[in-house]
Amino acid sequence: MAEFAIQTEGLTKVFRNRWSGRELTAVDDVSLRVPRGSTYGLLGPNGAGKTTFVKMLLSCAHPTAGRALVFGRDTREPEARRPIGYLPENHRFPTYLTGRHMLDFYGALSGMEPAARRRRVPELLTLVGIEERAWDLRLGKYSKGMLQRVGLAQAMMHSPRLLVLDEPSDGVDPVGRKHIRDILHSLEERGVTIFLNSHLLAEVELFCREVAIIQKGKVALSGTVEELTSGSGYKVESVAVPERLQTELRAKARSVAAQNGSLTLLYATREEANQAVDQLRANGCEIESLARSRSTLEEVFMRTVESAAGEAR
Amino acid sequence: MIATIALVQDTFREAFARRIFWGFFAACTALLLFLMFIMRVDVVAGALATVTIFGRTAPRSEELQMLVAQTQSVIAMVLYFAGMALAVFASAGLVAAVFEPGRIELLLSKPISRTHLLLGRFLGNVLVIAANILYLVIGSWIIFGLKTQIWGVGFLVSSFFTIFVFAVMLAVLVLAGVLWDSAAIGIMTTFAIMIVTPILAQRAIIERLLDSEWSRNVVRVLYYALPKTAEISVIIRHVILNQPVESWMPVWSTAIFGAVVLGTGLWLFRRRTF
Repeated sequence: MAEFAIQTEGLTKVFRNRWSGRELTAVDDVSLRVPRGSTYGLLGPNGAGKTTFVKMLLSCAHPTAGRALVFGRDTREPEARRPIGYLPENHRFPTYLTGRHMLDFYGALSGMEPAARRRRVPELLTLVGIEERAWDLRLGKYSKGMLQRVGLAQAMMHSPRLLVLDEPSDGVDPVGRKHIRDILHSLEERGVTIFLNSHLLAEVELFCREVAIIQKGKVALSGTVEELTSGSGYKVESVAVPERLQTELRAKARSVAAQNGSLTLLYATREEANQAVDQLRANGCEIESLARSRSTLEEVFMRTVESAAGEAR
Repeated sequence: MIATIALVQDTFREAFARRIFWGFFAACTALLLFLMFIMRVDVVAGALATVTIFGRTAPRSEELQMLVAQTQSVIAMVLYFAGMALAVFASAGLVAAVFEPGRIELLLSKPISRTHLLLGRFLGNVLVIAANILYLVIGSWIIFGLKTQIWGVGFLVSSFFTIFVFAVMLAVLVLAGVLWDSAAIGIMTTFAIMIVTPILAQRAIIERLLDSEWSRNVVRVLYYALPKTAEISVIIRHVILNQPVESWMPVWSTAIFGAVVLGTGLWLFRRRTF
Protein backbone atom coordinates (compact mmCIF):
# COMPACT_ATOMS: atom_id res chain seq x y z
CA MET A 1 0.00 0.00 0.00
CA ALA A 2 1.43 3.38 -1.00
CA GLU A 3 2.40 5.63 1.88
CA PHE A 4 1.53 8.83 0.10
CA ALA A 5 -1.73 9.93 -1.43
CA ILE A 6 0.19 12.23 -3.77
CA GLN A 7 3.82 11.92 -4.70
CA THR A 8 5.50 13.90 -7.41
CA GLU A 9 9.02 13.24 -8.60
CA GLY A 10 10.82 16.08 -10.35
CA LEU A 11 7.60 17.24 -11.91
CA THR A 12 8.34 19.83 -14.56
CA LYS A 13 6.25 21.60 -17.16
CA VAL A 14 7.76 23.82 -19.80
CA PHE A 15 5.46 25.58 -22.23
CA ARG A 16 7.05 26.29 -25.59
CA ASN A 17 5.75 28.79 -28.07
CA ARG A 18 5.58 26.95 -31.37
CA TRP A 19 6.44 30.01 -33.45
CA SER A 20 8.85 32.11 -31.40
CA GLY A 21 10.46 29.12 -29.67
CA ARG A 22 10.30 30.95 -26.32
CA GLU A 23 9.96 28.80 -23.25
CA LEU A 24 8.14 29.32 -19.99
CA THR A 25 8.79 26.99 -17.08
CA ALA A 26 5.50 26.84 -15.20
CA VAL A 27 6.48 24.04 -12.82
CA ASP A 28 10.14 23.42 -12.11
CA ASP A 29 11.30 20.10 -10.68
CA VAL A 30 8.66 19.84 -7.96
CA SER A 31 8.89 16.82 -5.66
CA LEU A 32 6.03 16.84 -3.20
CA ARG A 33 4.72 14.20 -0.84
CA VAL A 34 1.24 14.37 0.57
CA PRO A 35 0.67 11.72 3.26
CA ARG A 36 -2.50 9.62 3.21
CA GLY A 37 -5.34 11.08 5.22
CA SER A 38 -3.75 14.51 5.48
CA THR A 39 -5.21 17.92 4.71
CA TYR A 40 -2.72 19.65 2.47
CA GLY A 41 -2.82 23.19 1.14
CA LEU A 42 -1.03 24.40 -1.95
CA LEU A 43 -0.40 28.13 -1.86
CA GLY A 44 1.23 30.58 -4.16
CA PRO A 45 0.73 33.92 -5.87
CA ASN A 46 -0.99 34.15 -9.25
CA GLY A 47 1.09 32.56 -11.98
CA ALA A 48 3.19 30.57 -9.52
CA GLY A 49 2.35 27.28 -11.24
CA LYS A 50 -0.28 25.90 -8.85
CA THR A 51 -2.93 25.24 -11.47
CA THR A 52 -0.43 23.66 -13.86
CA PHE A 53 0.75 21.44 -11.01
CA VAL A 54 -2.83 20.34 -10.28
CA LYS A 55 -3.50 19.77 -13.98
CA MET A 56 -0.47 17.50 -14.23
CA LEU A 57 -1.64 15.67 -11.15
CA LEU A 58 -4.92 14.95 -12.93
CA SER A 59 -3.28 14.25 -16.27
CA CYS A 60 -4.95 17.23 -17.96
CA ALA A 61 -1.46 18.52 -18.74
CA HIS A 62 1.42 16.25 -19.68
CA PRO A 63 4.65 16.78 -17.73
CA THR A 64 7.77 17.78 -19.66
CA ALA A 65 9.74 15.77 -17.09
CA GLY A 66 9.04 13.80 -13.93
CA ARG A 67 5.85 12.10 -12.92
CA ALA A 68 2.88 12.37 -10.60
CA LEU A 69 1.70 9.40 -8.57
CA VAL A 70 -1.58 9.05 -6.73
CA PHE A 71 -1.62 6.21 -4.22
CA GLY A 72 1.49 4.90 -5.94
CA ARG A 73 0.15 4.90 -9.50
CA ASP A 74 1.03 7.19 -12.36
CA THR A 75 -2.00 9.39 -13.05
CA ARG A 76 -1.51 9.04 -16.78
CA GLU A 77 -3.16 5.63 -16.35
CA PRO A 78 -6.93 6.21 -16.27
CA GLU A 79 -7.36 3.67 -13.47
CA ALA A 80 -4.99 5.67 -11.25
CA ARG A 81 -7.50 8.56 -11.34
CA ARG A 82 -10.35 6.46 -9.95
CA PRO A 83 -9.69 7.41 -6.28
CA ILE A 84 -9.63 11.14 -7.14
CA GLY A 85 -12.50 13.56 -6.75
CA TYR A 86 -11.85 16.94 -8.34
CA LEU A 87 -13.47 20.34 -8.14
CA PRO A 88 -11.86 22.68 -10.69
CA GLU A 89 -11.46 26.41 -10.35
CA ASN A 90 -13.44 28.45 -12.90
CA HIS A 91 -15.46 25.37 -13.67
CA ARG A 92 -17.97 25.45 -16.45
CA PHE A 93 -20.45 22.74 -15.60
CA PRO A 94 -22.84 22.01 -18.49
CA THR A 95 -25.74 24.41 -17.90
CA TYR A 96 -28.21 22.08 -19.63
CA LEU A 97 -27.83 19.54 -16.84
CA THR A 98 -29.87 19.66 -13.65
CA GLY A 99 -28.14 19.22 -10.30
CA ARG A 100 -29.35 15.64 -10.20
CA HIS A 101 -28.26 14.86 -13.78
CA MET A 102 -24.87 16.42 -13.22
CA LEU A 103 -24.04 14.19 -10.28
CA ASP A 104 -25.41 11.20 -12.14
CA PHE A 105 -23.28 11.95 -15.22
CA TYR A 106 -19.99 12.46 -13.41
CA GLY A 107 -20.74 9.50 -11.15
CA ALA A 108 -21.21 7.33 -14.23
CA LEU A 109 -17.92 8.56 -15.68
CA SER A 110 -16.30 7.47 -12.43
CA GLY A 111 -17.69 4.00 -13.03
CA MET A 112 -20.60 4.00 -10.56
CA GLU A 113 -23.48 1.61 -11.22
CA PRO A 114 -26.92 3.21 -11.84
CA ALA A 115 -28.41 1.89 -8.57
CA ALA A 116 -25.51 3.30 -6.54
CA ARG A 117 -25.87 6.65 -8.30
CA ARG A 118 -29.59 6.79 -7.58
CA ARG A 119 -28.88 6.25 -3.88
CA ARG A 120 -25.95 8.63 -3.68
CA VAL A 121 -27.31 11.67 -5.57
CA PRO A 122 -30.05 12.75 -3.10
CA GLU A 123 -27.78 11.95 -0.19
CA LEU A 124 -25.05 14.28 -1.47
CA LEU A 125 -27.32 17.08 -2.64
CA THR A 126 -28.79 17.15 0.85
CA LEU A 127 -25.35 17.03 2.45
CA VAL A 128 -24.04 20.06 0.54
CA GLY A 129 -27.20 22.00 1.31
CA ILE A 130 -28.97 22.14 -2.04
CA GLU A 131 -32.69 22.39 -1.40
CA GLU A 132 -34.79 19.60 -2.90
CA ARG A 133 -36.76 21.97 -5.12
CA ALA A 134 -33.48 22.92 -6.87
CA TRP A 135 -32.39 19.34 -7.61
CA ASP A 136 -34.22 19.28 -10.93
CA LEU A 137 -33.41 22.83 -11.91
CA ARG A 138 -30.88 23.37 -14.67
CA LEU A 139 -27.44 24.46 -13.50
CA GLY A 140 -27.86 27.61 -15.58
CA LYS A 141 -30.31 28.76 -12.90
CA TYR A 142 -27.95 28.06 -9.98
CA SER A 143 -26.15 30.84 -8.11
CA LYS A 144 -22.33 30.82 -7.84
CA GLY A 145 -22.54 29.47 -4.32
CA MET A 146 -24.93 26.69 -5.35
CA LEU A 147 -22.62 25.75 -8.23
CA GLN A 148 -19.71 25.44 -5.80
CA ARG A 149 -21.80 23.22 -3.54
CA VAL A 150 -23.00 20.99 -6.35
CA GLY A 151 -19.42 20.94 -7.68
CA LEU A 152 -18.21 19.69 -4.31
CA ALA A 153 -20.96 17.05 -4.31
CA GLN A 154 -19.79 15.99 -7.79
CA ALA A 155 -16.24 15.59 -6.49
CA MET A 156 -17.50 13.44 -3.60
CA MET A 157 -19.88 11.40 -5.75
CA HIS A 158 -17.87 8.18 -6.02
CA SER A 159 -16.54 8.37 -2.43
CA PRO A 160 -12.97 9.19 -3.51
CA ARG A 161 -9.97 8.62 -1.26
CA LEU A 162 -8.38 11.87 -2.45
CA LEU A 163 -10.17 15.16 -2.98
CA VAL A 164 -8.42 17.79 -5.07
CA LEU A 165 -10.21 21.07 -4.56
CA ASP A 166 -9.40 24.25 -6.43
CA GLU A 167 -10.81 27.25 -4.56
CA PRO A 168 -13.72 25.25 -3.09
CA SER A 169 -15.33 28.15 -1.25
CA ASP A 170 -15.02 30.67 -4.08
CA GLY A 171 -18.27 32.65 -4.27
CA VAL A 172 -19.71 31.01 -1.16
CA ASP A 173 -20.98 33.13 1.74
CA PRO A 174 -19.39 32.78 5.22
CA VAL A 175 -22.11 30.43 6.44
CA GLY A 176 -21.64 28.29 3.36
CA ARG A 177 -17.87 28.30 3.85
CA LYS A 178 -18.28 27.01 7.37
CA HIS A 179 -20.64 24.34 6.04
CA ILE A 180 -18.12 23.28 3.39
CA ARG A 181 -15.36 23.20 6.01
CA ASP A 182 -17.50 20.99 8.23
CA ILE A 183 -18.12 18.59 5.33
CA LEU A 184 -14.41 18.45 4.60
CA HIS A 185 -13.61 17.87 8.27
CA SER A 186 -16.00 14.92 8.36
CA LEU A 187 -14.28 13.50 5.28
CA GLU A 188 -10.90 14.02 6.91
CA GLU A 189 -12.12 12.05 9.93
CA ARG A 190 -12.99 9.21 7.59
CA GLY A 191 -9.43 9.19 6.27
CA VAL A 192 -9.96 11.03 3.00
CA THR A 193 -6.90 12.99 1.88
CA ILE A 194 -7.78 16.57 1.00
CA PHE A 195 -5.55 18.62 -1.27
CA LEU A 196 -6.61 22.23 -1.33
CA ASN A 197 -5.48 24.83 -3.82
CA SER A 198 -6.61 28.21 -2.57
CA HIS A 199 -5.84 31.89 -2.39
CA LEU A 200 -7.78 32.21 0.86
CA LEU A 201 -4.94 31.86 3.32
CA ALA A 202 -7.19 32.10 6.38
CA GLU A 203 -9.25 29.21 4.99
CA VAL A 204 -6.17 27.11 4.42
CA GLU A 205 -4.86 27.94 7.89
CA LEU A 206 -8.16 26.93 9.43
CA PHE A 207 -8.42 23.70 7.55
CA CYS A 208 -5.05 22.30 6.46
CA ARG A 209 -2.46 20.61 8.62
CA GLU A 210 0.28 20.88 6.01
CA VAL A 211 1.04 23.41 3.31
CA ALA A 212 3.46 24.02 0.48
CA ILE A 213 4.10 27.49 -0.88
CA ILE A 214 4.96 27.47 -4.54
CA GLN A 215 6.69 30.42 -6.17
CA LYS A 216 7.86 30.68 -9.78
CA GLY A 217 7.20 26.99 -10.28
CA LYS A 218 9.31 25.81 -7.35
CA VAL A 219 8.39 24.80 -3.82
CA ALA A 220 9.64 27.74 -1.75
CA LEU A 221 8.50 26.42 1.63
CA SER A 222 6.64 23.41 2.97
CA GLY A 223 5.76 21.96 6.34
CA THR A 224 2.99 21.70 8.88
CA VAL A 225 0.96 24.84 9.53
CA GLU A 226 1.89 24.46 13.21
CA GLU A 227 5.61 24.56 12.44
CA LEU A 228 5.42 27.35 9.93
CA THR A 229 3.30 29.70 12.01
CA SER A 230 4.80 29.05 15.42
CA GLY A 231 6.75 32.08 16.61
CA SER A 232 9.65 32.38 19.01
CA GLY A 233 8.09 34.74 21.56
CA TYR A 234 5.40 34.99 24.22
CA LYS A 235 2.50 37.40 24.17
CA VAL A 236 1.09 38.92 27.38
CA GLU A 237 -2.11 40.94 27.26
CA SER A 238 -3.28 42.98 30.23
CA VAL A 239 -5.74 45.81 30.97
CA ALA A 240 -5.63 49.01 33.01
CA VAL A 241 -1.84 49.06 33.31
CA PRO A 242 -0.57 52.21 35.08
CA GLU A 243 1.66 54.49 33.03
CA ARG A 244 4.67 53.97 35.35
CA LEU A 245 4.47 50.17 35.04
CA GLN A 246 4.02 50.39 31.28
CA THR A 247 7.36 52.22 31.01
CA GLU A 248 9.01 49.52 33.13
CA LEU A 249 7.54 46.66 31.12
CA ARG A 250 8.37 48.25 27.78
CA ALA A 251 12.08 48.19 28.64
CA LYS A 252 12.31 44.39 28.30
CA ALA A 253 9.56 43.77 25.73
CA ARG A 254 10.38 43.07 22.10
CA SER A 255 7.28 44.93 20.99
CA VAL A 256 4.37 46.70 22.63
CA ALA A 257 0.91 47.56 21.38
CA ALA A 258 -1.64 49.60 23.31
CA GLN A 259 -5.25 49.72 22.19
CA ASN A 260 -8.54 50.62 23.93
CA GLY A 261 -7.01 50.40 27.39
CA SER A 262 -5.43 47.04 26.73
CA LEU A 263 -1.67 46.49 26.54
CA THR A 264 -0.09 43.70 24.51
CA LEU A 265 3.55 42.92 25.18
CA LEU A 266 5.74 40.50 23.27
CA TYR A 267 8.69 38.90 25.08
CA ALA A 268 11.46 36.81 23.63
CA THR A 269 11.63 34.27 26.48
CA ARG A 270 9.22 32.51 28.79
CA GLU A 271 11.15 33.80 31.78
CA GLU A 272 10.71 37.43 30.73
CA ALA A 273 7.02 36.87 30.10
CA ASN A 274 6.59 35.30 33.53
CA GLN A 275 8.41 38.21 35.17
CA ALA A 276 6.06 40.63 33.39
CA VAL A 277 3.05 38.65 34.64
CA ASP A 278 4.42 38.80 38.19
CA GLN A 279 4.87 42.56 37.95
CA LEU A 280 1.41 43.05 36.53
CA ARG A 281 -0.24 40.92 39.22
CA ALA A 282 1.79 42.64 41.94
CA ASN A 283 0.35 45.94 40.71
CA GLY A 284 -3.18 44.57 40.74
CA CYS A 285 -3.52 44.43 36.92
CA GLU A 286 -5.77 41.82 35.32
CA ILE A 287 -4.18 39.40 32.82
CA GLU A 288 -6.35 39.16 29.71
CA SER A 289 -4.31 36.46 27.94
CA LEU A 290 -0.95 34.74 27.87
CA ALA A 291 0.12 32.75 24.82
CA ARG A 292 3.02 31.81 22.62
CA SER A 293 3.18 34.28 19.80
CA ARG A 294 2.36 32.94 16.34
CA SER A 295 2.61 34.29 12.85
CA THR A 296 -0.44 34.03 10.67
CA LEU A 297 -0.16 31.92 7.55
CA GLU A 298 -0.56 35.12 5.60
CA GLU A 299 2.55 36.56 7.25
CA VAL A 300 4.50 33.38 6.51
CA PHE A 301 3.23 33.45 2.94
CA MET A 302 4.19 37.09 2.42
CA ARG A 303 7.64 36.56 3.92
CA THR A 304 8.24 33.52 1.72
CA VAL A 305 7.02 35.15 -1.46
CA GLU A 306 8.95 38.36 -0.83
CA SER A 307 12.18 36.56 0.05
CA ALA A 308 11.85 34.35 -3.04
CA ALA A 309 11.29 37.45 -5.15
CA GLY A 310 14.32 39.11 -3.49
CA GLU A 311 16.54 36.12 -4.25
CA ALA A 312 15.39 36.17 -7.85
CA ARG A 313 16.44 39.84 -8.12
CA MET B 1 -19.82 0.56 -20.83
CA ILE B 2 -21.33 2.71 -18.04
CA ALA B 3 -19.13 5.64 -19.07
CA THR B 4 -19.96 5.16 -22.78
CA ILE B 5 -23.69 5.20 -22.08
CA ALA B 6 -23.25 8.30 -19.90
CA LEU B 7 -21.35 10.10 -22.67
CA VAL B 8 -24.00 9.22 -25.26
CA GLN B 9 -26.80 10.25 -22.90
CA ASP B 10 -25.02 13.52 -22.16
CA THR B 11 -24.70 14.29 -25.88
CA PHE B 12 -28.43 13.71 -26.30
CA ARG B 13 -29.19 15.98 -23.32
CA GLU B 14 -27.02 18.72 -24.80
CA ALA B 15 -28.61 18.28 -28.23
CA PHE B 16 -32.09 18.52 -26.65
CA ALA B 17 -31.06 21.63 -24.73
CA ARG B 18 -29.60 23.27 -27.82
CA ARG B 19 -32.85 22.42 -29.62
CA ILE B 20 -30.82 20.76 -32.38
CA PHE B 21 -32.65 17.52 -31.94
CA TRP B 22 -36.05 19.18 -31.79
CA GLY B 23 -35.27 21.36 -34.83
CA PHE B 24 -34.44 18.28 -36.88
CA PHE B 25 -37.35 16.39 -35.46
CA ALA B 26 -39.74 19.22 -36.41
CA ALA B 27 -38.31 19.37 -39.95
CA CYS B 28 -38.59 15.59 -40.37
CA THR B 29 -42.14 15.58 -38.97
CA ALA B 30 -43.13 18.36 -41.37
CA LEU B 31 -41.79 16.30 -44.29
CA LEU B 32 -43.61 13.18 -43.08
CA LEU B 33 -46.89 15.09 -42.73
CA PHE B 34 -46.35 16.46 -46.21
CA LEU B 35 -45.95 12.91 -47.56
CA MET B 36 -48.88 11.65 -45.56
CA PHE B 37 -51.39 14.25 -46.66
CA ILE B 38 -50.14 15.61 -49.96
CA MET B 39 -49.14 12.39 -51.70
CA ARG B 40 -52.21 11.40 -53.65
CA VAL B 41 -52.77 7.70 -54.29
CA ASP B 42 -55.71 6.81 -56.50
CA VAL B 43 -57.06 3.35 -56.01
CA VAL B 44 -59.12 1.96 -58.88
CA ALA B 45 -61.58 -0.95 -58.49
CA GLY B 46 -60.37 -1.83 -55.01
CA ALA B 47 -56.82 -2.46 -56.11
CA LEU B 48 -53.76 -0.36 -56.74
CA ALA B 49 -54.38 -0.48 -60.46
CA THR B 50 -53.02 3.03 -60.92
CA VAL B 51 -51.23 5.29 -58.52
CA THR B 52 -50.60 9.00 -58.88
CA ILE B 53 -47.74 10.48 -56.95
CA PHE B 54 -47.15 14.22 -57.20
CA GLY B 55 -49.14 14.28 -60.41
CA ARG B 56 -47.23 11.43 -62.09
CA THR B 57 -49.33 8.36 -62.81
CA ALA B 58 -48.02 4.82 -63.02
CA PRO B 59 -50.47 2.37 -64.60
CA ARG B 60 -48.53 -0.91 -64.19
CA SER B 61 -47.02 -2.40 -61.07
CA GLU B 62 -43.38 -2.31 -62.39
CA GLU B 63 -43.76 1.31 -63.30
CA LEU B 64 -45.43 1.97 -59.97
CA GLN B 65 -42.48 0.39 -58.19
CA MET B 66 -40.10 2.56 -60.18
CA LEU B 67 -42.15 5.69 -59.47
CA VAL B 68 -42.13 5.01 -55.72
CA ALA B 69 -38.40 4.30 -55.77
CA GLN B 70 -37.70 7.52 -57.70
CA THR B 71 -39.70 9.55 -55.22
CA GLN B 72 -37.83 7.89 -52.37
CA SER B 73 -34.52 8.66 -54.02
CA VAL B 74 -35.49 12.35 -54.24
CA ILE B 75 -36.20 12.31 -50.49
CA ALA B 76 -32.92 10.49 -49.87
CA MET B 77 -31.00 13.10 -51.89
CA VAL B 78 -32.62 16.01 -50.04
CA LEU B 79 -31.70 14.29 -46.80
CA TYR B 80 -28.20 13.48 -48.02
CA PHE B 81 -27.23 16.97 -49.17
CA ALA B 82 -29.44 19.46 -47.29
CA GLY B 83 -29.82 17.32 -44.17
CA MET B 84 -26.08 16.65 -44.09
CA ALA B 85 -25.28 20.37 -44.25
CA LEU B 86 -27.72 21.06 -41.43
CA ALA B 87 -26.40 18.15 -39.37
CA VAL B 88 -22.80 19.37 -39.71
CA PHE B 89 -23.83 22.89 -38.77
CA ALA B 90 -25.70 21.65 -35.72
CA SER B 91 -23.03 19.20 -34.56
CA ALA B 92 -20.09 21.60 -34.69
CA GLY B 93 -21.14 23.18 -31.39
CA LEU B 94 -21.56 19.81 -29.72
CA VAL B 95 -18.00 18.83 -30.58
CA ALA B 96 -16.33 22.13 -29.64
CA ALA B 97 -18.25 22.34 -26.33
CA VAL B 98 -16.26 19.42 -24.92
CA PHE B 99 -12.99 21.35 -25.21
CA GLU B 100 -14.22 24.36 -23.24
CA PRO B 101 -11.84 25.31 -20.40
CA GLY B 102 -13.42 24.47 -17.06
CA ARG B 103 -15.28 21.54 -18.58
CA ILE B 104 -12.55 19.51 -20.23
CA GLU B 105 -10.40 19.39 -17.06
CA LEU B 106 -13.17 17.77 -15.10
CA LEU B 107 -13.82 15.22 -17.84
CA LEU B 108 -10.12 14.39 -18.10
CA SER B 109 -9.83 13.90 -14.35
CA LYS B 110 -12.25 10.96 -14.54
CA PRO B 111 -10.94 7.40 -14.79
CA ILE B 112 -11.55 7.03 -18.50
CA SER B 113 -9.03 7.31 -21.30
CA ARG B 114 -9.04 10.31 -23.59
CA THR B 115 -9.78 8.02 -26.52
CA HIS B 116 -12.83 6.64 -24.73
CA LEU B 117 -14.00 10.15 -23.87
CA LEU B 118 -13.77 11.48 -27.41
CA LEU B 119 -15.17 8.34 -29.04
CA GLY B 120 -18.09 8.34 -26.58
CA ARG B 121 -18.91 11.89 -27.55
CA PHE B 122 -18.47 11.06 -31.25
CA LEU B 123 -20.81 8.09 -30.95
CA GLY B 124 -23.40 10.18 -29.10
CA ASN B 125 -23.29 12.80 -31.82
CA VAL B 126 -23.69 10.23 -34.59
CA LEU B 127 -26.63 8.70 -32.75
CA VAL B 128 -28.36 12.08 -32.32
CA ILE B 129 -28.29 12.63 -36.08
CA ALA B 130 -28.96 8.95 -36.90
CA ALA B 131 -32.10 9.02 -34.74
CA ASN B 132 -33.52 11.83 -36.84
CA ILE B 133 -32.45 10.34 -40.18
CA LEU B 134 -33.99 6.98 -39.27
CA TYR B 135 -37.15 8.69 -38.04
CA LEU B 136 -37.59 10.39 -41.39
CA VAL B 137 -36.58 7.43 -43.54
CA ILE B 138 -38.52 4.77 -41.63
CA GLY B 139 -41.51 7.11 -41.28
CA SER B 140 -41.68 7.91 -44.99
CA TRP B 141 -40.98 4.26 -45.89
CA ILE B 142 -44.03 3.22 -43.82
CA ILE B 143 -46.17 5.96 -45.42
CA PHE B 144 -45.11 4.85 -48.92
CA GLY B 145 -45.66 1.21 -48.00
CA LEU B 146 -49.12 1.76 -46.56
CA LYS B 147 -50.22 3.87 -49.48
CA THR B 148 -48.76 1.79 -52.29
CA GLN B 149 -48.12 -1.64 -50.73
CA ILE B 150 -44.56 -1.42 -52.04
CA TRP B 151 -42.05 -2.26 -49.33
CA GLY B 152 -38.66 -2.10 -51.05
CA VAL B 153 -35.77 -2.09 -48.58
CA GLY B 154 -33.41 0.00 -50.74
CA PHE B 155 -34.71 3.22 -49.23
CA LEU B 156 -34.07 1.91 -45.70
CA VAL B 157 -30.56 0.78 -46.62
CA SER B 158 -29.82 4.21 -48.10
CA SER B 159 -30.16 5.82 -44.66
CA PHE B 160 -27.07 3.94 -43.48
CA PHE B 161 -24.98 5.52 -46.25
CA THR B 162 -26.19 8.96 -45.16
CA ILE B 163 -25.32 8.23 -41.53
CA PHE B 164 -21.95 6.86 -42.63
CA VAL B 165 -21.05 10.00 -44.59
CA PHE B 166 -22.22 12.16 -41.70
CA ALA B 167 -19.91 10.19 -39.37
CA VAL B 168 -17.00 10.93 -41.74
CA MET B 169 -17.87 14.65 -41.74
CA LEU B 170 -18.12 14.54 -37.96
CA ALA B 171 -14.59 13.11 -37.84
CA VAL B 172 -13.46 16.26 -39.67
CA LEU B 173 -15.30 18.38 -37.10
CA VAL B 174 -13.60 16.45 -34.29
CA LEU B 175 -10.15 16.98 -35.79
CA ALA B 176 -10.83 20.71 -36.27
CA GLY B 177 -12.15 20.89 -32.70
CA VAL B 178 -9.02 19.25 -31.28
CA LEU B 179 -6.75 21.48 -33.36
CA TRP B 180 -8.48 24.83 -32.95
CA ASP B 181 -11.25 24.48 -30.29
CA SER B 182 -13.46 26.24 -32.78
CA ALA B 183 -16.90 25.32 -34.07
CA ALA B 184 -16.64 27.95 -36.82
CA ILE B 185 -13.39 26.55 -38.28
CA GLY B 186 -14.85 23.06 -38.06
CA ILE B 187 -17.91 24.11 -40.05
CA MET B 188 -15.80 25.91 -42.66
CA THR B 189 -13.47 22.93 -43.12
CA THR B 190 -16.32 20.44 -43.42
CA PHE B 191 -18.31 22.62 -45.81
CA ALA B 192 -15.19 23.13 -47.91
CA ILE B 193 -14.87 19.34 -48.23
CA MET B 194 -18.56 19.02 -49.06
CA ILE B 195 -18.22 21.65 -51.80
CA VAL B 196 -14.88 20.52 -53.25
CA THR B 197 -15.56 16.80 -53.43
CA PRO B 198 -18.48 16.96 -55.91
CA ILE B 199 -16.24 19.16 -58.10
CA LEU B 200 -13.43 16.61 -57.84
CA ALA B 201 -15.93 13.94 -58.88
CA GLN B 202 -15.73 15.56 -62.34
CA ARG B 203 -12.02 14.90 -62.43
CA ALA B 204 -12.08 13.51 -65.97
CA ILE B 205 -13.30 16.87 -67.26
CA ILE B 206 -10.98 18.84 -64.96
CA GLU B 207 -7.95 16.83 -66.08
CA ARG B 208 -8.72 17.56 -69.72
CA LEU B 209 -8.78 21.29 -68.90
CA LEU B 210 -5.42 21.24 -67.10
CA ASP B 211 -2.14 21.80 -68.96
CA SER B 212 0.47 20.24 -66.73
CA GLU B 213 0.81 16.68 -65.56
CA TRP B 214 1.74 18.02 -62.14
CA SER B 215 -1.62 19.78 -61.65
CA ARG B 216 -3.45 16.70 -62.97
CA ASN B 217 -1.62 14.63 -60.33
CA VAL B 218 -2.72 17.08 -57.63
CA VAL B 219 -6.34 16.66 -58.71
CA ARG B 220 -5.95 12.85 -58.71
CA VAL B 221 -4.39 12.83 -55.22
CA LEU B 222 -7.13 15.10 -53.90
CA TYR B 223 -9.77 12.94 -55.50
CA TYR B 224 -8.52 9.72 -53.96
CA ALA B 225 -7.64 11.27 -50.60
CA LEU B 226 -10.88 13.12 -49.91
CA PRO B 227 -14.30 11.56 -49.29
CA LYS B 228 -16.43 10.90 -52.34
CA THR B 229 -19.70 12.48 -51.36
CA ALA B 230 -21.03 12.84 -54.92
CA GLU B 231 -20.24 9.25 -55.89
CA ILE B 232 -21.87 7.96 -52.71
CA SER B 233 -25.03 9.89 -53.59
CA VAL B 234 -25.05 7.97 -56.89
CA ILE B 235 -24.65 4.69 -54.98
CA ILE B 236 -27.59 5.65 -52.76
CA ARG B 237 -29.75 6.25 -55.85
CA HIS B 238 -28.71 2.91 -57.31
CA VAL B 239 -29.49 1.10 -54.07
CA ILE B 240 -32.96 2.67 -53.86
CA LEU B 241 -33.72 2.04 -57.54
CA ASN B 242 -32.47 -1.53 -57.10
CA GLN B 243 -29.81 -1.06 -59.75
CA PRO B 244 -26.36 -2.66 -59.62
CA VAL B 245 -23.59 -0.58 -58.01
CA GLU B 246 -20.63 -0.30 -60.39
CA SER B 247 -17.96 0.28 -57.76
CA TRP B 248 -17.80 0.36 -53.98
CA MET B 249 -14.50 2.24 -54.08
CA PRO B 250 -16.13 5.57 -53.08
CA VAL B 251 -17.47 3.92 -49.91
CA TRP B 252 -14.30 2.25 -48.75
CA SER B 253 -12.01 5.12 -49.69
CA THR B 254 -14.31 7.50 -47.79
CA ALA B 255 -14.22 5.10 -44.83
CA ILE B 256 -10.42 5.15 -44.92
CA PHE B 257 -10.46 8.96 -45.02
CA GLY B 258 -12.81 9.05 -42.01
CA ALA B 259 -10.73 6.54 -40.05
CA VAL B 260 -7.49 8.45 -40.72
CA VAL B 261 -9.03 11.81 -39.80
CA LEU B 262 -10.65 10.44 -36.64
CA GLY B 263 -7.46 8.58 -35.72
CA THR B 264 -5.44 11.76 -36.14
CA GLY B 265 -7.96 13.66 -34.00
CA LEU B 266 -7.70 11.03 -31.26
CA TRP B 267 -3.91 10.98 -31.42
CA LEU B 268 -3.69 14.76 -31.10
CA PHE B 269 -6.28 14.78 -28.32
CA ARG B 270 -4.25 12.25 -26.32
CA ARG B 271 -1.10 14.35 -26.66
CA ARG B 272 -2.68 17.71 -25.94
CA THR B 273 -2.20 19.68 -22.74
CA PHE B 274 -5.29 21.42 -21.39
